[in-house]
This record gives sequence, structure tokens and C-alpha cells, in this order.
Amino acid sequence: MLTCETYHMPTSLKEALTLWTAAPDGSRLISGGTDILPWAREGRAGDVHLPELIDVTRIPELSGHQIINARVHLGANTVYQDFLTEGTLRRSLPCMPYCAIWFADDQIREQATLVGNLVNASPVADGTPPVVALNGEIELARLEDGEIVRRVVPVIDFIEGPGKTRIADNEIATKVILDAVNGYGGSFQKVGLRRSLVISVACCAALVKTDRDGRVFENVRVALGGVGPRPIRLAEVEAKLQGARISRKLITQVAELAADTVASRSRQEYRREVVVNFVRAALEEALGNQPDVTISFQDEKVMTDA
Amino acid sequence: MPKLKLEMEVNGRKVSRETEPYKRLLDFLRDDLNLTGTKEGCGAGECGTCSVFVDGKLVKSCLMPAAKAAGATVETIEGMAKPGDLTPVQKAFHKTGASQCGYCIPGMVMAATSALRENPGAGIEEIKERLGGNICRCTGYTKIFEAVEIARDVIAGDLPETVLEEDAVQDTYIGANVRRLDAPSKVSGRLKYAADMKMHDMLQMQVLRSPHPHARIVSIDTCAAEAMEGVACVITSDDVPGKDGYGVFVHDQPTMATGKVRYVGEAVAAVAAEDLVTARRALAAIKVEYEELPGLFTPQDALKPGAPVIHDYAQDNLVKHIPVRKGDVAAGFEEADLILEDDFSTQQVEHAYLEPEAGIAYVDPDDVVVVISPSQNITHHRHMLAEIIDKPINKVRFIMSPVGGGFGGKEDMIYQGMLAIGAMKTHRPIQLNFTREESIIASAKRHPSKVHYKMGLTNAGRITAIEFSMLSDGGAYGMSSEGVMRKAAILSCGPYEVHNLKVDTTAVYTNNTPSGAFRTFGGMQAQFATESMMDMAAEALNMDPFEIRRVNMMKIGSRTHTQQELTTASLGRVMDAAQEASRWETGAPNVRGPLRGDLNGPDTRQPCTLGARFQGDGLDGGDKGKKENVA
Repeated sequence: MLTCETYHMPTSLKEALTLWTAAPDGSRLISGGTDILPWAREGRAGDVHLPELIDVTRIPELSGHQIINARVHLGANTVYQDFLTEGTLRRSLPCMPYCAIWFADDQIREQATLVGNLVNASPVADGTPPVVALNGEIELARLEDGEIVRRVVPVIDFIEGPGKTRIADNEIATKVILDAVNGYGGSFQKVGLRRSLVISVACCAALVKTDRDGRVFENVRVALGGVGPRPIRLAEVEAKLQGARISRKLITQVAELAADTVASRSRQEYRREVVVNFVRAALEEALGNQPDVTISFQDEKVMTDA
Repeated sequence: MPKLKLEMEVNGRKVSRETEPYKRLLDFLRDDLNLTGTKEGCGAGECGTCSVFVDGKLVKSCLMPAAKAAGATVETIEGMAKPGDLTPVQKAFHKTGASQCGYCIPGMVMAATSALRENPGAGIEEIKERLGGNICRCTGYTKIFEAVEIARDVIAGDLPETVLEEDAVQDTYIGANVRRLDAPSKVSGRLKYAADMKMHDMLQMQVLRSPHPHARIVSIDTCAAEAMEGVACVITSDDVPGKDGYGVFVHDQPTMATGKVRYVGEAVAAVAAEDLVTARRALAAIKVEYEELPGLFTPQDALKPGAPVIHDYAQDNLVKHIPVRKGDVAAGFEEADLILEDDFSTQQVEHAYLEPEAGIAYVDPDDVVVVISPSQNITHHRHMLAEIIDKPINKVRFIMSPVGGGFGGKEDMIYQGMLAIGAMKTHRPIQLNFTREESIIASAKRHPSKVHYKMGLTNAGRITAIEFSMLSDGGAYGMSSEGVMRKAAILSCGPYEVHNLKVDTTAVYTNNTPSGAFRTFGGMQAQFATESMMDMAAEALNMDPFEIRRVNMMKIGSRTHTQQELTTASLGRVMDAAQEASRWETGAPNVRGPLRGDLNGPDTRQPCTLGARFQGDGLDGGDKGKKENVA
């Protein structure tokens, strides 16, 4: 069980950073709390006693979202359910609702934050591939001479390996900044043992923008999770599709490229097969989800927008 | 540790309490506010028995530090309806029989309420998705989903409220929808399971468990634990006053490990303390020195000559061997046109009842030792405990608390002895609530089994002889193994008339988690083998699977494998009904006719998808009046 001496609920970022800087060794920041509580149980960390827990969810500066220069600035307190319930986020981040619907369950999504998911840096975190596909950056804040200093790190670089990130001991993650890609079709593929409350064996996020006639790929982004220690963006797949005439054959061909990205230490053969199918399925689903465009496959007569 | 002052509104009332800073909302509701309708099934967000509304949003209170609810509006199951009344959702759960053991039901009612609050017009797929975070082990969910749909339609006015009332029963109760008497207390969260009960001055017990599968206990040093402030007693097998040993058939299991441990998770010592945290810290202060012994991890190894011996009384590691003989097997195989031979194995299975083991013991003023627990076998437990604590039977009392799911897994007296001894040592009530992890590691499992099968048949599909040999992993203790082997043997060759059979079922000791009772009690493992053989025989003989079973089925006048003459038999009618209901397409098992596709046929399960709530709504379209929380 998790116990602590003191539970802080700071109401400003400065207060939180001051507490965090002064906190005794072993103290932890807590956001949604949906990872730290199951962690402190038998079979994982066992009973854990922490000096201080500093809860960041009552800090107004970390709440809400804004769109600035075609970038969505998501406060650190944004929870997964927001990607399902908030129209702005659904339209601007079209792969996030598909990720969210597969993430844990409705109840955990009300508490679990995207930032918490990124900072935990699990190789199978559902949130990483869509964030990487959305060119996500994470904002980190610290105190220097009593003043708040912020820096921004691309998420693809921020996550260095299982549980390892570039966050410094004195920093708090305050924001995720993502491309606003209104008009794109989005998709998220995941395989696990059941529908709800399951950790991915592997997952894949895709974003697709075509020309108005649905004939040519204008922009494609594909990212994988669960197949290596760090998030993977499929640059080669994206480059091969960019500007290409849309066809089932091409999608099947480029999907094969994903197999060689698998660097997991376990279930390699299975993951190689899964990611190829995921990339194909994600591209097709993203094409189908693109608003107001009917896709015309070169090798197929008609496919209407669902 | 400084206390945390928490103020919030709970079920419409303002509450203010000082509590420990690390409490989860679940602990605060249950321990500080006595709102025990919110249950703890796993403590890890997996099961949903603890679902509550915080500021209108359904959350899992085991994953929420109580501090996060400061200033919030909290609704629990107790606040859904006024006392004596039920909401339409609760009434619908009552109506459809959605509550069985009832332990998941408060959480299910909360999840159903949330689903209908979020989308009053939710379709069945969306309802399933929104209830995805809540697990039920009794119902198979069908009745629960049915209840949510009825409630939805009543709330929307599409169905009259009268559909929530009990159906009138005509001449017979068979086939009639009769409501469960205990359902209102379950759907409202009022029913008290053992972990929900509190007694004045009650201590909390925690158990130190073995990290080794097979080890000699060199020494146990409890001094540091006993010296800790807040610790009332530490007990080991030395504290057992009478003749130790329990088990459903053979009393081979000590209340706490004696001399050696035989599986990972076996109880070694127990602490009773003023509170749970103190008890857990005291466990960490107990020093046990082990000398590891070679272990046995497969039943095959247990039977090898020179194998390590797990129990002194069973030098051959045998728990039980049940033989059944009928007719002349050699002659039967001579008669056969076809002989099939194969091997079948089944795995260990956890019952995973939503209610982890829990209990309370106390000594009453007449020196009667009382144990309250969800035991599935209290009379036998009472007799065994009387011996263990050396009391006459009239000084031992067992009270069966509501069983939040058992499925056979609560037949074994794996903790009641420790509670009784603790209560006798302290003369204070003691409660022990297992964690989910502890329940899984310490309780019995379904027997993993291996069956070697030989079946002889005529070309007409008639079974002429069966040789059936099952070897089961009994684990470290006997528990229900003997009965499970007996039933596996009796049911071994299925509901088929077999004149020549040779059946052997054997359970052996290993250093795995003990195997015990689990629904079907050995029948499942045997039927898996027998029914697979029947299908394989049908394929080999190019017969329809129903047909081959009809050729062999027991009828009135048939003699069972154990020579009982049947005076009634209904298998023919059962198969007729199954054949019709399944729209069976005649043919051997490997035939693929127009209805026998493996995918997308009638009644086949659709691929796993999510996102029913996107349908008709769209990600880009209007939000159709859905609430928007943009900050």
C-alpha cells in the first residue's frame, strides 16, 4: 500500500515548484494517481512509504487547452476522457479520440492524464504514438532564482527508454504541445487481451490528409508503440506515401516496412506480424475517418466516407 | 504523521473529518464514513467494485487519493435513492436478477447510472463499453445489460414503470421470473459482507507468507514485531492450542506453516494490530530463516522414484487415486473398428470471486470463539476449528457472512484458524481482509490435469471401450483433491453408455499452489477430454457430432460407469433442444456447409471494436448538446 507523511495540493505552479524543490528525497509528484497506486502493491513495489506527495491537479495554470498558431497547448491536467468529450480536441487531434476509447476505461480516463502517461514513459503507453504522430512536445518547468523557467522537448526525444525521460529532478511537466490537424483522418490500433483495462502488446497511431478528391496522400504520419524501448515514427512509410496516388496495393506494400522497426525483446515474431497489419489498418481507418472526403483507391472502384 | 483535514459533500450531506494523508477515497468512504456499499475488489482499478461519482464523474475510488476529493461532491451507492426506495436502475437490476453474489453490484449500478447520465439514449454497444471497467464473475453480464436497457427505456418513458415490478407467477415457478429476496440489499449497497463489518475495539490482522515453494523453517523471530507500538499479538504455529490440521478430506494443512513451507504464499505468521498500516509494518519486522528444499513443480515429477517428499505421511506424494472398472476393456478394444488415442491438458484457474477472503473472529462472554466469514463450508470448519483450538464443539461458532462469490474457492479454511487464535490471545475482535494479490496467491485453484485417453468405436459410432487416465496437480495440500478426483472418475466417460471401461484419476502433491474445489469439481477437466474425443471420433467416422452422441447416450435402463441403473434420462431431449436452438447444420465436424463458416456466420461474435459512442455523432460533427468542458 502507498503511504506518505504529507499530501500537498498546491494551487499555483510556483507553489508546486517550491514544494517540489524542497521535497525530501523519495517524494513524488502525483497527477491522476492511476499508476502510482497500483504500483505500490504486492508483486510490484510492495508497501511504499513516501515523505511527500505533491498533487499538481489543483493548479489552474495546468488546466484547460488553447490553440495558438495551429498548435494545441494541452495543460498537464488534461485527462484522457477530454479527448472524447471536448469537441475542439476531437476535431484538432483526430487520432486522440481513437486512442482514448481504447485507453483503460471510462472511469480511469476521468483521472488519468496524458502528461502522466508520457512522464511514466512506459514503452507500451497508449498515449505516446499519437502524440509523436502529432509532433508533440512536452513543456517542463523549474525554478531558477525563484523564477519559473520553462523548456520544451520533443516527445520523441523526451522518452529515452522504459521509465526513462529527460525530465530533471527539479522539473514539473506542465504542458503538451501538439499540431492542430483539423481535417485529417485519425486512427489508433491496439492489441491486448481484452477491450477495457488492458495494456497494449503493441499499438499504432496514424494521421492522414489527402487532396479534396481523395486521390493523393498529401500528408501521412504513422507512429508505433510497444515495439521497442522508445517511440517510433515511421518516416520511411510516410515519405513513400507523401504525394502518392492512393491504392490498397501501395498501403499493403509500405506497411511491410514496419516489420523491421520491431526491437522488443519479447514476442518479436508476433509483433512483426502485428505491426504490419496495424499500419495497413491504421492507414485505411484514417482514410475512412477523414471528414468530408470520399477516398478513391486507384485499385478499387468506390469507397464512400463512413 | 500530520493528519489531513478533509471537507466534502457526500450524498448531499457536508462531511468534515481529519484523516491520514495517504488515505484513498475508498478508505475514507469505508473506514471514516462507514459507507461500505463501495467495495474493494482489487485495489488496482481493475474491477470497478469501488466506483463512485466525484463532481458528477464516475471514478474508481481505489485509484483516487482522498485529498483529491477535498471540496468535491461525492455520490456513493448509498446516495442513489432515499432509504427504502430504489432508483429505476436499481429496480431493473432487481427485476432481471442481475445481482447474484452482489459484490460487484454497487459498482455496476454506479457504472450503469453513469452510462445513462452521460447518454440517456445509449445503445447496447455503448452501454457495454461504458460498463467496461466493471467486472462481474457470476452473471456473464447478460442480465446486467438487460437491466440497464430496461432502466434506460423506463427513464426515457419508452417503457412503463410497471415493467420494473415483479412478474406475476402463474401455476409454476419453473420458467417464471422470480425476483431474488436479497437483491434490494445488494443493489442499494446495504448488505454487509465480512470486510464491511466493524466491531468496537477491533484489531486488523495481516499475514506473513512464504516466499519459497519448499523450505525448512529454521527460525522465526517475532520479537521486534511484538515490541512495536500498536501491535496486539504475533502468532505462529507455536500458538496453536490443539491438534493442528485442516482440509476437506485429509487434515494435512496447518493453520500456519509448521516446520516447513510447501508453497509460495503459505501463511507463516500473523500479526494483529490497532490498524492496518501498523500490522503491515510489523510483518516486515518478523525475521524468518529458511533453508530451501528441492521442490516439485509437475505431477509427473512427483511420481518419479526418489522424488522429494512433501508430506511425511505420503511418502509416494499421492493425495488420492480413484479407480473405476467396468466390463472387459481388452475385449472391448478387440471389438472396435477404430481406436483413437490422445492426450488432453487443462491449466490452473483462479476463481477470482469479486470479494477477496475476509473475516472477523471474537470471543464472546461465554468463551465461545466466534468466526464470521464467507465460508462455503461452515459446519465442517466448525468441527475442524474445535480440534485446532482444543475447544468443545459448543464453544466454537461459525457465522456465514454473505459470500461475494465463491465458486468452490471458499471451501477451504485458509485463514479462519489464524483469526480465532488471534482473538483468543487478545480477547479482542480481529478482522482480516485479504488483498486481491493475497487471495490469488493463497487460495486454491482449479486442478491442472493431464488426461490420456483411449477410445474404441465401431464403424457405426458405438463406443466399445474406454481407457481414461487423469493425473492432476493437487498442489501443496490435499484440500478438495480427493472429492475432485472422485467426481472426475465418476463423470470421466461422459453421459455415454460404455460397457467396458478402465478409469483412473490421480492427484499428487507438488509445491504449487494447492488445488481445490472449483465449479464442476473435476467434471470440466474430464468432459473436455471426453467431448473432444467424441468430436474427433465423429470426424474420423464421418458422422454428425449429435448423431454419434445419440448412438452412445445413456437412456432409461442404462448403467452408469459406476453401475447405477438409470430410471430417468433426458439427454436425448437436451440434444434435440440444443440442435434446434443452434440451428445446427448436419454433417461431420470438419464439414463447412453454407451456415458453418468460421467467421461472420449467424451468432458468431463480431470482431472486437470500440467507439460505439462515435456512431451518428462523428468526431468532426456537432456535439449534439453534449457537455463541453473547455477551460
